[in-house]
Amino acid sequence: MYKEQITDKEAFCLIALFIMGSTLILGAGGEAKNDSWLAAIVGLIFAIPMLFIYSRLLFLFPEKDLFDILNIIFGNFFGKIISILYIWYAFHLGALVLRNFGEFMNTVTMPETPMLVSLFCMGMICVIAVNLGIEVISRFSAYVFPILIFILVFIDLLGITNIHFSNIKPFLGNGITPVLKGGFLSFSFPFAESVLFLGVFFSLKTKKSPLKIYLSGVIFAGVICISLTARNILVLGEFREKLYFPSYAAVSRINIGDFLQRMEGSVALVLLLGVFIKTSICLFVACKGISKLFNLNHYSSITIQVGLLMIYFSRTVFDSTMEMQNWAFKVYRYYAFPFQVIIPIFIWIFAEVKIALGKNKSKGAASK
Amino acid sequence: MIVLVLLGYSILGIYEFVPLYKQKLWRDFWVNAGLALLSITIAILQCFDLKIPSPSKPTMDLINMLFGE
Repeated sequence: MYKEQITDKEAFCLIALFIMGSTLILGAGGEAKNDSWLAAIVGLIFAIPMLFIYSRLLFLFPEKDLFDILNIIFGNFFGKIISILYIWYAFHLGALVLRNFGEFMNTVTMPETPMLVSLFCMGMICVIAVNLGIEVISRFSAYVFPILIFILVFIDLLGITNIHFSNIKPFLGNGITPVLKGGFLSFSFPFAESVLFLGVFFSLKTKKSPLKIYLSGVIFAGVICISLTARNILVLGEFREKLYFPSYAAVSRINIGDFLQRMEGSVALVLLLGVFIKTSICLFVACKGISKLFNLNHYSSITIQVGLLMIYFSRTVFDSTMEMQNWAFKVYRYYAFPFQVIIPIFIWIFAEVKIALGKNKSKGAASK
Repeated sequence: MIVLVLLGYSILGIYEFVPLYKQKLWRDFWVNAGLALLSITIAILQCFDLKIPSPSKPTMDLINMLFGE
Protein backbone atom coordinates (compact mmCIF):
# COMPACT_ATOMS: atom_id res chain seq x y z
CA MET A 1 0.00 0.00 0.00
CA TYR A 2 1.17 3.57 -0.76
CA LYS A 3 2.73 5.15 2.30
CA GLU A 4 1.89 8.80 2.88
CA GLN A 5 4.78 11.05 3.83
CA ILE A 6 4.96 14.69 4.86
CA THR A 7 8.03 16.89 5.01
CA ASP A 8 9.13 18.81 8.11
CA LYS A 9 8.12 22.13 6.54
CA GLU A 10 4.64 20.85 5.71
CA ALA A 11 4.28 19.40 9.21
CA PHE A 12 5.29 22.75 10.74
CA CYS A 13 2.68 24.60 8.68
CA LEU A 14 0.07 21.97 9.50
CA ILE A 15 0.54 22.15 13.27
CA ALA A 16 0.76 25.97 13.26
CA LEU A 17 -2.48 26.30 11.28
CA PHE A 18 -4.15 23.67 13.46
CA ILE A 19 -3.27 25.61 16.63
CA MET A 20 -4.33 28.93 15.14
CA GLY A 21 -7.57 27.37 13.79
CA SER A 22 -10.55 28.69 15.69
CA THR A 23 -8.43 30.55 18.28
CA LEU A 24 -7.89 33.36 15.79
CA ILE A 25 -11.57 34.17 15.92
CA LEU A 26 -12.59 33.16 19.45
CA GLY A 27 -9.43 34.51 21.09
CA ALA A 28 -7.35 33.06 23.91
CA GLY A 29 -7.13 33.68 27.63
CA GLY A 30 -10.88 33.95 28.39
CA GLU A 31 -11.60 35.16 31.87
CA ALA A 32 -8.26 36.93 32.45
CA LYS A 33 -9.86 40.06 30.90
CA ASN A 34 -7.19 42.61 29.93
CA ASP A 35 -4.48 40.19 31.10
CA SER A 36 -5.59 37.61 28.52
CA TRP A 37 -2.38 38.07 26.55
CA LEU A 38 -0.46 37.12 29.70
CA ALA A 39 -2.75 34.12 30.21
CA ALA A 40 -1.98 33.00 26.64
CA ILE A 41 1.76 33.17 27.42
CA VAL A 42 1.20 31.15 30.61
CA GLY A 43 -0.82 28.59 28.59
CA LEU A 44 2.00 28.25 26.07
CA ILE A 45 4.55 27.71 28.85
CA PHE A 46 2.27 25.09 30.49
CA ALA A 47 1.99 23.27 27.15
CA ILE A 48 5.72 22.89 26.49
CA PRO A 49 6.30 19.91 28.87
CA MET A 50 3.38 18.11 27.23
CA LEU A 51 4.93 18.69 23.80
CA PHE A 52 8.06 16.90 25.07
CA ILE A 53 5.89 13.94 26.10
CA TYR A 54 4.02 13.79 22.78
CA SER A 55 7.22 13.95 20.76
CA ARG A 56 8.94 11.41 23.03
CA LEU A 57 6.12 8.97 22.25
CA LEU A 58 6.60 9.55 18.53
CA PHE A 59 10.35 9.07 18.96
CA LEU A 60 9.91 5.79 20.87
CA PHE A 61 7.54 4.39 18.25
CA PRO A 62 8.69 5.63 14.84
CA GLU A 63 6.20 5.21 11.99
CA LYS A 64 3.45 4.24 14.46
CA ASP A 65 0.37 6.35 15.02
CA LEU A 66 -1.44 6.93 18.32
CA PHE A 67 -3.70 3.89 17.86
CA ASP A 68 -0.79 1.55 17.04
CA ILE A 69 1.08 2.87 20.09
CA LEU A 70 -1.96 2.22 22.31
CA ASN A 71 -2.26 -1.33 20.97
CA ILE A 72 1.45 -2.02 21.52
CA ILE A 73 1.50 -0.65 25.06
CA PHE A 74 -1.85 -1.66 26.49
CA GLY A 75 -2.61 -4.73 24.41
CA ASN A 76 -5.57 -5.40 22.21
CA PHE A 77 -8.40 -4.92 24.71
CA PHE A 78 -7.34 -1.92 26.83
CA GLY A 79 -5.61 -0.37 23.82
CA LYS A 80 -8.90 -0.43 21.94
CA ILE A 81 -10.82 1.08 24.86
CA ILE A 82 -8.40 4.04 25.03
CA SER A 83 -8.51 4.25 21.21
CA ILE A 84 -12.29 4.69 21.42
CA LEU A 85 -11.76 7.60 23.84
CA TYR A 86 -9.39 9.31 21.42
CA ILE A 87 -11.67 8.65 18.45
CA TRP A 88 -14.45 10.35 20.40
CA TYR A 89 -12.18 13.27 21.32
CA ALA A 90 -11.08 13.81 17.71
CA PHE A 91 -14.66 13.52 16.47
CA HIS A 92 -16.04 15.85 19.14
CA LEU A 93 -13.28 18.44 18.67
CA GLY A 94 -13.88 18.41 14.90
CA ALA A 95 -17.60 18.98 15.49
CA LEU A 96 -16.89 21.83 17.94
CA VAL A 97 -14.55 23.58 15.50
CA LEU A 98 -17.10 23.16 12.73
CA ARG A 99 -19.75 24.62 15.02
CA ASN A 100 -17.52 27.64 15.80
CA PHE A 101 -17.35 28.25 12.07
CA GLY A 102 -21.12 27.76 11.67
CA GLU A 103 -21.85 30.21 14.51
CA PHE A 104 -19.49 32.77 12.99
CA MET A 105 -21.16 32.48 9.59
CA ASN A 106 -24.63 32.58 11.10
CA THR A 107 -23.96 35.50 13.46
CA VAL A 108 -21.68 37.72 11.44
CA THR A 109 -21.38 37.07 7.74
CA MET A 110 -24.51 35.24 6.52
CA PRO A 111 -27.24 35.60 9.16
CA GLU A 112 -30.09 34.64 6.86
CA THR A 113 -28.53 31.43 5.57
CA PRO A 114 -29.34 28.33 7.65
CA MET A 115 -26.33 27.17 9.65
CA LEU A 116 -26.57 23.68 8.19
CA VAL A 117 -25.58 25.07 4.78
CA SER A 118 -22.27 26.50 5.99
CA LEU A 119 -21.62 23.42 8.14
CA PHE A 120 -22.35 21.11 5.23
CA CYS A 121 -20.19 23.02 2.74
CA MET A 122 -17.20 23.20 5.07
CA GLY A 123 -17.69 19.61 6.30
CA MET A 124 -17.81 18.22 2.77
CA ILE A 125 -14.60 20.07 1.80
CA CYS A 126 -12.92 18.49 4.81
CA VAL A 127 -14.25 15.05 3.79
CA ILE A 128 -12.79 15.49 0.30
CA ALA A 129 -9.45 16.62 1.77
CA VAL A 130 -9.27 13.66 4.15
CA ASN A 131 -10.22 11.30 1.34
CA LEU A 132 -7.29 12.64 -0.67
CA GLY A 133 -4.98 11.98 2.26
CA ILE A 134 -2.77 13.70 4.79
CA GLU A 135 -0.18 14.53 2.10
CA VAL A 136 -2.69 16.72 0.28
CA ILE A 137 -3.84 18.46 3.46
CA SER A 138 -0.27 19.20 4.53
CA ARG A 139 0.78 20.39 1.08
CA PHE A 140 -2.24 22.69 1.02
CA SER A 141 -1.31 24.04 4.45
CA ALA A 142 2.24 24.72 3.22
CA TYR A 143 0.80 26.74 0.30
CA VAL A 144 -1.65 28.83 2.29
CA PHE A 145 0.52 29.35 5.38
CA PRO A 146 2.60 32.28 4.00
CA ILE A 147 -0.55 33.95 2.61
CA LEU A 148 -2.27 33.66 5.96
CA ILE A 149 0.69 35.01 7.89
CA PHE A 150 0.98 37.91 5.44
CA ILE A 151 -2.71 38.77 5.95
CA LEU A 152 -2.37 38.59 9.74
CA VAL A 153 0.74 40.80 9.85
CA PHE A 154 -0.68 43.26 7.31
CA ILE A 155 -3.95 43.62 9.21
CA ASP A 156 -2.08 43.97 12.51
CA LEU A 157 -0.01 46.79 11.02
CA LEU A 158 -3.10 48.54 9.69
CA GLY A 159 -4.70 48.26 13.12
CA ILE A 160 -1.90 50.20 14.82
CA THR A 161 -3.83 53.46 14.42
CA ASN A 162 -6.68 52.10 16.61
CA ILE A 163 -4.48 50.95 19.46
CA HIS A 164 -4.94 52.52 22.91
CA PHE A 165 -2.28 51.44 25.36
CA SER A 166 -4.44 52.49 28.30
CA ASN A 167 -6.68 49.47 27.51
CA ILE A 168 -4.05 47.06 28.78
CA LYS A 169 -4.02 48.67 32.24
CA PRO A 170 -4.30 47.79 35.09
CA PHE A 171 -1.64 45.13 34.69
CA LEU A 172 -2.60 42.14 36.90
CA GLY A 173 -5.44 44.29 38.26
CA ASN A 174 -7.45 41.23 39.38
CA GLY A 175 -4.45 39.35 40.77
CA ILE A 176 -2.68 36.30 39.45
CA THR A 177 -5.58 33.79 39.84
CA PRO A 178 -7.57 34.83 36.72
CA VAL A 179 -4.31 34.77 34.73
CA LEU A 180 -3.55 31.22 35.87
CA LYS A 181 -7.14 30.15 35.15
CA GLY A 182 -6.92 31.80 31.73
CA GLY A 183 -3.55 30.10 31.26
CA PHE A 184 -5.17 26.74 31.93
CA LEU A 185 -7.82 27.60 29.34
CA SER A 186 -5.19 28.62 26.77
CA PHE A 187 -3.28 25.44 27.54
CA SER A 188 -6.27 23.24 26.74
CA PHE A 189 -7.60 25.42 23.91
CA PRO A 190 -5.58 25.44 21.66
CA PHE A 191 -2.03 24.42 22.63
CA ALA A 192 -2.53 20.94 24.11
CA GLU A 193 -5.00 20.03 21.37
CA SER A 194 -1.83 19.18 19.45
CA VAL A 195 -2.10 15.77 21.16
CA LEU A 196 -4.07 14.77 18.06
CA PHE A 197 -0.88 15.03 16.02
CA LEU A 198 0.15 11.74 17.62
CA GLY A 199 -2.25 10.35 15.03
CA VAL A 200 -0.70 12.34 12.16
CA PHE A 201 3.07 12.53 12.62
CA PHE A 202 3.64 8.82 11.94
CA SER A 203 3.91 9.99 8.34
CA LEU A 204 6.87 12.33 8.91
CA LYS A 205 9.61 11.87 6.34
CA THR A 206 12.40 12.53 8.86
CA LYS A 207 11.91 10.36 11.91
CA LYS A 208 14.28 12.34 14.15
CA SER A 209 12.39 15.60 14.13
CA PRO A 210 8.99 15.35 15.93
CA LEU A 211 10.18 17.44 18.90
CA LYS A 212 11.62 20.15 16.65
CA ILE A 213 8.39 20.34 14.64
CA TYR A 214 6.14 20.21 17.69
CA LEU A 215 8.05 22.96 19.49
CA SER A 216 8.58 25.27 16.53
CA GLY A 217 5.00 24.88 15.23
CA VAL A 218 3.25 25.37 18.58
CA ILE A 219 5.51 28.24 19.68
CA PHE A 220 5.10 30.04 16.35
CA ALA A 221 1.30 29.65 16.47
CA GLY A 222 1.42 30.67 20.15
CA VAL A 223 3.22 33.91 19.33
CA ILE A 224 0.61 34.70 16.66
CA CYS A 225 -2.27 33.93 19.05
CA ILE A 226 -0.68 36.04 21.82
CA SER A 227 -0.11 38.99 19.47
CA LEU A 228 -3.69 38.83 18.19
CA THR A 229 -5.09 38.60 21.72
CA ALA A 230 -2.97 41.63 22.69
CA ARG A 231 -4.17 43.51 19.59
CA ASN A 232 -7.80 42.76 20.43
CA ILE A 233 -7.31 44.05 23.98
CA LEU A 234 -5.46 47.17 22.81
CA VAL A 235 -8.09 47.99 20.20
CA LEU A 236 -11.31 47.00 21.98
CA GLY A 237 -10.49 47.32 25.68
CA GLU A 238 -13.22 46.14 28.06
CA PHE A 239 -15.69 45.96 25.18
CA ARG A 240 -13.85 42.80 24.03
CA GLU A 241 -15.38 40.65 26.77
CA LYS A 242 -18.89 41.34 25.49
CA LEU A 243 -18.13 40.04 22.00
CA TYR A 244 -18.33 36.50 20.70
CA PHE A 245 -15.83 37.15 17.90
CA PRO A 246 -13.46 39.92 19.09
CA SER A 247 -10.99 39.67 16.17
CA TYR A 248 -13.76 40.49 13.71
CA ALA A 249 -14.82 43.55 15.69
CA ALA A 250 -11.22 44.73 16.14
CA VAL A 251 -10.44 44.50 12.43
CA SER A 252 -13.75 46.11 11.41
CA ARG A 253 -12.54 49.33 13.12
CA ILE A 254 -9.70 49.76 10.65
CA ASN A 255 -10.31 52.84 8.55
CA ILE A 256 -7.31 54.50 6.96
CA GLY A 257 -8.06 57.70 5.07
CA ASP A 258 -11.61 56.49 4.26
CA PHE A 259 -9.92 54.27 1.70
CA LEU A 260 -8.68 51.14 3.48
CA GLN A 261 -11.77 49.92 5.32
CA ARG A 262 -14.08 46.90 5.61
CA MET A 263 -11.04 44.70 6.15
CA GLU A 264 -13.00 42.19 8.28
CA GLY A 265 -13.37 39.90 5.26
CA SER A 266 -9.75 38.96 5.85
CA VAL A 267 -10.68 37.64 9.32
CA ALA A 268 -13.31 35.43 7.72
CA LEU A 269 -10.74 34.13 5.22
CA VAL A 270 -8.23 33.37 7.97
CA LEU A 271 -10.91 31.58 9.99
CA LEU A 272 -12.02 29.62 6.94
CA LEU A 273 -8.51 28.29 6.29
CA GLY A 274 -7.81 27.59 9.96
CA VAL A 275 -11.10 25.76 10.47
CA PHE A 276 -10.58 23.74 7.31
CA ILE A 277 -7.17 22.48 8.48
CA LYS A 278 -8.29 21.82 12.05
CA THR A 279 -11.48 19.98 11.12
CA SER A 280 -9.66 17.95 8.48
CA ILE A 281 -7.03 16.84 11.00
CA CYS A 282 -9.73 15.89 13.52
CA LEU A 283 -11.67 13.97 10.88
CA PHE A 284 -8.48 12.28 9.67
CA VAL A 285 -7.56 11.11 13.19
CA ALA A 286 -11.12 9.93 13.91
CA CYS A 287 -11.26 7.94 10.63
CA LYS A 288 -7.77 6.53 11.16
CA GLY A 289 -8.78 5.45 14.68
CA ILE A 290 -12.00 3.77 13.51
CA SER A 291 -10.13 1.99 10.71
CA LYS A 292 -7.55 0.68 13.22
CA LEU A 293 -10.28 -0.28 15.67
CA PHE A 294 -12.05 -2.49 13.12
CA ASN A 295 -8.93 -3.50 11.15
CA LEU A 296 -10.22 -1.90 7.97
CA ASN A 297 -8.39 -1.95 4.67
CA HIS A 298 -8.16 1.84 4.41
CA TYR A 299 -9.56 4.76 6.40
CA SER A 300 -10.89 6.51 3.28
CA SER A 301 -13.76 4.00 2.97
CA ILE A 302 -15.48 5.51 6.04
CA THR A 303 -14.53 9.19 5.63
CA ILE A 304 -17.83 10.31 4.08
CA GLN A 305 -20.03 8.74 6.75
CA VAL A 306 -17.85 9.95 9.65
CA GLY A 307 -17.78 13.41 8.05
CA LEU A 308 -21.57 13.46 7.72
CA LEU A 309 -21.95 12.35 11.33
CA MET A 310 -19.56 15.14 12.36
CA ILE A 311 -21.67 17.69 10.47
CA TYR A 312 -24.93 16.48 12.08
CA PHE A 313 -23.32 16.38 15.49
CA SER A 314 -21.93 19.90 15.13
CA ARG A 315 -25.46 21.09 14.36
CA THR A 316 -27.04 19.53 17.43
CA VAL A 317 -24.19 19.90 19.94
CA PHE A 318 -25.24 23.37 21.19
CA ASP A 319 -28.55 25.20 21.28
CA SER A 320 -27.10 28.72 21.04
CA THR A 321 -23.95 30.82 20.61
CA MET A 322 -24.02 31.56 24.34
CA GLU A 323 -23.93 27.85 25.15
CA MET A 324 -21.01 27.39 22.76
CA GLN A 325 -19.11 30.25 24.40
CA ASN A 326 -19.85 28.86 27.85
CA TRP A 327 -18.59 25.43 26.80
CA ALA A 328 -15.43 26.80 25.14
CA PHE A 329 -14.41 29.07 28.01
CA LYS A 330 -15.73 27.31 31.12
CA VAL A 331 -16.19 23.59 30.50
CA TYR A 332 -13.80 22.55 27.75
CA ARG A 333 -10.56 22.79 29.78
CA TYR A 334 -11.80 20.26 32.35
CA TYR A 335 -13.34 18.01 29.71
CA ALA A 336 -10.16 17.95 27.60
CA PHE A 337 -7.69 17.56 30.48
CA PRO A 338 -7.75 13.71 30.58
CA PHE A 339 -7.22 13.46 26.80
CA GLN A 340 -4.47 16.08 26.73
CA VAL A 341 -2.59 15.39 29.96
CA ILE A 342 -3.61 12.37 32.06
CA ILE A 343 -3.81 9.65 29.38
CA PRO A 344 -0.67 10.83 27.46
CA ILE A 345 1.34 10.79 30.73
CA PHE A 346 0.14 7.25 31.44
CA ILE A 347 0.96 6.17 27.88
CA TRP A 348 4.43 7.71 28.18
CA ILE A 349 5.20 6.04 31.54
CA PHE A 350 4.00 2.65 30.31
CA ALA A 351 5.96 3.09 27.05
CA GLU A 352 9.21 3.89 28.89
CA VAL A 353 8.73 0.90 31.22
CA LYS A 354 7.88 -1.43 28.36
CA ILE A 355 10.90 -0.36 26.32
CA ALA A 356 13.24 -0.58 29.33
CA LEU A 357 11.95 -4.09 30.10
CA GLY A 358 12.37 -5.06 26.44
CA LYS A 359 15.97 -3.82 26.46
CA ASN A 360 16.74 -5.74 29.68
CA LYS A 361 15.26 -8.90 28.19
CA SER A 362 17.29 -8.60 24.99
CA LYS A 363 20.47 -7.90 27.04
CA GLY A 364 19.78 -10.99 29.17
CA ALA A 365 19.23 -13.12 26.07
CA ALA A 366 22.46 -11.82 24.50
CA SER A 367 24.53 -12.55 27.65
CA LYS A 368 23.17 -16.14 27.79
CA MET B 1 -36.41 17.70 2.51
CA ILE B 2 -36.71 14.01 3.31
CA VAL B 3 -36.83 13.20 -0.42
CA LEU B 4 -33.56 15.10 -0.87
CA VAL B 5 -31.96 13.20 2.01
CA LEU B 6 -33.06 9.82 0.65
CA LEU B 7 -31.91 10.75 -2.85
CA GLY B 8 -28.54 11.92 -1.51
CA TYR B 9 -28.02 8.74 0.47
CA SER B 10 -29.02 6.58 -2.52
CA ILE B 11 -26.36 8.26 -4.68
CA LEU B 12 -23.87 7.94 -1.82
CA GLY B 13 -24.76 4.25 -1.53
CA ILE B 14 -23.91 3.63 -5.16
CA TYR B 15 -20.72 5.69 -4.93
CA GLU B 16 -19.49 4.11 -1.69
CA PHE B 17 -20.85 0.60 -1.34
CA VAL B 18 -20.64 -0.77 -4.87
CA PRO B 19 -16.81 -0.50 -5.08
CA LEU B 20 -16.42 -2.03 -1.59
CA TYR B 21 -18.76 -4.88 -2.58
CA LYS B 22 -16.93 -5.49 -5.87
CA GLN B 23 -13.54 -5.53 -4.13
CA LYS B 24 -14.98 -7.91 -1.50
CA LEU B 25 -13.79 -5.67 1.34
CA TRP B 26 -16.42 -7.06 3.70
CA ARG B 27 -15.11 -5.50 6.91
CA ASP B 28 -15.01 -2.04 5.32
CA PHE B 29 -18.41 -2.69 3.79
CA TRP B 30 -20.14 -3.61 7.06
CA VAL B 31 -18.51 -0.91 9.18
CA ASN B 32 -19.44 1.65 6.56
CA ALA B 33 -22.98 0.24 6.42
CA GLY B 34 -23.29 0.61 10.21
CA LEU B 35 -22.08 4.22 10.07
CA ALA B 36 -24.37 4.94 7.12
CA LEU B 37 -27.36 3.55 9.03
CA LEU B 38 -26.57 5.80 12.00
CA SER B 39 -26.00 8.79 9.77
CA ILE B 40 -29.22 8.34 7.74
CA THR B 41 -31.22 7.90 10.96
CA ILE B 42 -29.87 11.18 12.36
CA ALA B 43 -30.44 12.92 9.00
CA ILE B 44 -34.09 11.78 8.91
CA LEU B 45 -34.62 12.80 12.55
CA GLN B 46 -33.22 16.23 11.75
CA CYS B 47 -35.54 16.49 8.74
CA PHE B 48 -38.50 16.15 11.12
CA ASP B 49 -36.93 18.76 13.44
CA LEU B 50 -36.66 16.21 16.22
CA LYS B 51 -34.22 17.16 18.93
CA ILE B 52 -31.24 14.83 19.15
CA PRO B 53 -29.77 14.67 22.66
CA SER B 54 -26.38 16.37 22.92
CA PRO B 55 -23.70 15.19 25.38
CA SER B 56 -22.72 18.83 26.06
CA LYS B 57 -25.44 19.50 28.64
CA PRO B 58 -24.71 16.44 30.85
CA THR B 59 -20.95 17.13 30.56
CA MET B 60 -21.50 20.76 31.57
CA ASP B 61 -23.64 19.68 34.54
CA LEU B 62 -21.06 17.12 35.62
CA ILE B 63 -18.20 19.62 35.44
CA ASN B 64 -20.28 22.24 37.26
CA MET B 65 -20.96 19.68 39.96
CA LEU B 66 -17.29 18.64 40.26
CA PHE B 67 -15.51 21.97 39.88
CA GLY B 68 -18.25 24.50 40.54
CA GLU B 69 -17.62 26.42 37.29
